[in-house]
Amino acid sequence: MQQLMLRYPTGKTALSGLTLDILQGQFVYLVGESGAGKSSLLKMLYGGVRPSSGLLMAQQIDMRQASESRIRDIRRRTGIIFQDHKLLFARTVFENVALPLRVQGWKTERLIPRVRKVLQYVGLEDRLWSYPEALSGGEQQRVAIARAMTANPAVILADEPTGNLDVETARRVLDYLMDLNKQGTTVIMATHDLHLLKSHPGRVVQLHAGSLAGDYSGY
Amino acid sequence: MATEVVPDRVNTRLPGGFNLPPFGVHQILALIIVCIALWAVGVLWLGMQTAGQWVGSWQDDIHIHVYLDTQREDNVEQLEQELAAIPQVASVKLISQQEAARWMQEWLTGGGLQQDELAKRLPITFELSLKDERSQFLFADIRDTAKHFGGKVNEDEVNLAQVHDLLTQAGLLAWFASLILAIAMALIISNTLRMTLLARADEIHLMRLLGAKEWFVRTPFILEGMVLGAGAGVSAWLLLWPVKLAVGDWLSTMQVDLNIWILLLPLLFGGAIVGALGALIATAHVVSSEASA
Repeated sequence: MQQLMLRYPTGKTALSGLTLDILQGQFVYLVGESGAGKSSLLKMLYGGVRPSSGLLMAQQIDMRQASESRIRDIRRRTGIIFQDHKLLFARTVFENVALPLRVQGWKTERLIPRVRKVLQYVGLEDRLWSYPEALSGGEQQRVAIARAMTANPAVILADEPTGNLDVETARRVLDYLMDLNKQGTTVIMATHDLHLLKSHPGRVVQLHAGSLAGDYSGY
Repeated sequence: MATEVVPDRVNTRLPGGFNLPPFGVHQILALIIVCIALWAVGVLWLGMQTAGQWVGSWQDDIHIHVYLDTQREDNVEQLEQELAAIPQVASVKLISQQEAARWMQEWLTGGGLQQDELAKRLPITFELSLKDERSQFLFADIRDTAKHFGGKVNEDEVNLAQVHDLLTQAGLLAWFASLILAIAMALIISNTLRMTLLARADEIHLMRLLGAKEWFVRTPFILEGMVLGAGAGVSAWLLLWPVKLAVGDWLSTMQVDLNIWILLLPLLFGGAIVGALGALIATAHVVSSEASA
């Protein structure tokens, strides 16, 4: 991304003149105060908002000029984890985790073994037919991770995935993301939990008031 | 493979694509309301069918008879010419008294009348075929011409000819009413689906975030609208049978035999089209807005 700028219709400038390169396979923490532009940057990376000016290339696609169909392609290759999980509480864990594959046209017969496998990975294989409200906060976040990784995405974008979790559960969530990163997935994670950086080191990109305030590798 | 791992009581209801969303109380209420509206449309068209059958053959071949007293026999040729000169009259046929008497005897199945005696008492009859019975001054012209030569017009036939005219206008009104009801039904279905859409806004938003195509997001709602409309159409059709049973005997005395089957497909497909239209209206502006700070 070069000289990236984002101004919302409300007039608020979320990002201003941001220049940054994130390579395939990196684990990147986005840190900064609330309103620094972390979530806005993540939104731009999956096409939730378009840059107002500057250049943003995500997975070889110019996000400013990309058609809706290109944006859909990007989203299919991207796993997104939200702070509030965005789980569908009227649907089972299976239905939640299967959703990205369902969107990509997978048949139910193929979905079940795949969903079972990713839930096994996050230690929730016995909760396949439970509803999210029956799960703890940490378990819900693990379901969200399972949903993000179920389609084998090239990139995982995580917006404060440990925000509502206790330290131990947050560490476990980071373990999963680190493990996925070791398997080749690029992980970009916005966080306020700076203490996690010690146990789970990665590249740290610091934003302040929409601008780049620091870029530290191997923190 | 799915049956091996899905527990018996678990029904996988994956959203999007060709999977119908679950039916709830809103959908049932909409089905009832649309069913009533479609039933009203069905009753309207049954009424048109009744009126059409009642007017019967008049619809296709309208004839008006003009009678002239035998004492005015001298005027026959002139009256025939004057009637034929009216622009909307296609032809004028002079019917002999013998022929009229024979026809009357057949109609009255004997009636104990002597045909020759009857023929002497009958007036001279002209049978007029019309080009356009809707013409504004046609019947007034026929009436004036007949009166000028001392003749009389069969007013019952004139009334029936005008009933046909009214029937045509009623047909247009029936189409108009059906159209208005169709718009109302589409809006009712649209409103119901709108509520479902609002209730499932998170799911729709999430599907879009995961890269779902628009047809994938909208198809379940369009299918739901079609199923709702078609279901209401079939229900409305079933509810037309009690109407037929209630008035069938009375209508048969008027030589009217209602055909309910002819309304099945129009109500079924009409309902489905109206439902799909309602769903298209409802899903036209389903926006998952993220472009706000």
